[in-house]
Amino acid sequence: MKRRFNFRQALAALVLTTLPLFSQAQTEPIGYVKTVTGEAWVSNGAERVRAQRGTPILLGSQLRTQAGASLGVSFKDNTLMSFGPDTELTVDEYLYSPADDQLKLSTRLMRGTLNYIAGVIAKLKPDAVSVRTPMGVIGVRGTQFLVKVEDEQ
Amino acid sequence: MNFTSKTLLLAATLTLLAVLGGCASKKGTGSYVVLLRDPDGNAGKVIVQTPQGEQTLTEVFKGTALDGKREPFFVMQDQLQRDFGAALAAMPLPPERFLLYFESGGAVLTAQSKADLERVLQRTRARPSPDISVVGHTDTAGLAEANKALGLRRATAMAEQLRQLGLQNTTISVESHGEGNLLVRTPDNTAEALNRRVEITIR
Repeated sequence: MKRRFNFRQALAALVLTTLPLFSQAQTEPIGYVKTVTGEAWVSNGAERVRAQRGTPILLGSQLRTQAGASLGVSFKDNTLMSFGPDTELTVDEYLYSPADDQLKLSTRLMRGTLNYIAGVIAKLKPDAVSVRTPMGVIGVRGTQFLVKVEDEQ
Repeated sequence: MNFTSKTLLLAATLTLLAVLGGCASKKGTGSYVVLLRDPDGNAGKVIVQTPQGEQTLTEVFKGTALDGKREPFFVMQDQLQRDFGAALAAMPLPPERFLLYFESGGAVLTAQSKADLERVLQRTRARPSPDISVVGHTDTAGLAEANKALGLRRATAMAEQLRQLGLQNTTISVESHGEGNLLVRTPDNTAEALNRRVEITIR
């Protein structure tokens, strides 16, 4: 009886102490906006901010450029991405902890144009990097490439 | 006579192809990927999984359709400019990396690295909206846990110095890889000057 009580207490304590860790991990920037022209937005859940130089990119951020706009961002692992007008990209997974071999970068390009320069994650663990599109999935082996996703009409 | 009709047929075919081609390009170039050389001059590989199977690009300026319905093709400069000019123009400056080295056991820079710190400041100031990451590393002398802490001490000391030298408004992130990310591979418990370092990246 007593043992069971202790177990529950320990479990509660564990949850309480690890919860802040999780929320902290989610709000820590994984990159920053470096260039903007025109109107571009960074959304995190329900929160949406107009992109400026220095706007943080978080795990799960959705990046969007309007007509005539462009945007450039850099990530912690030195991956660079820049976008032309009418573009929408979401950062679905980002793990960068080389000492623990925790590496992952997956993004989703829904429409528009993307210029991608691979960073350290792609060099250390090529299989961990992908760009999904409505049609195909792009795997990256340490390089620069361009992708265009046309709106399906 | 026979020759002329053949020529006419050829001309008609070419005209038809040109018209078809014109129609196709009006619809746009479709969704595709193109491989480029990166800023260091390296061309890697892009692997595209499409509903039709897998395509691998290894040649610079070669492209492939995302729906997989076309053979890979070369993309001309003017098309690249038309489709990707804006995205390419928005590319951020490539990150710059500096390695600073420490005297054994603590967070005191070697004389040479003290001079290099000035260069880090200059290069940071040259950027419009810089952010910096400082990663501390150690050699394998001592226990791994203690080295994790030592790496963090080195990184924190460097971040503090950068702030004191005038970068108080720059975002600086600090972390330690301890002895887990050696520059020079050594056995455990080996003092190695090149492994006692911080890696500073300016983005």
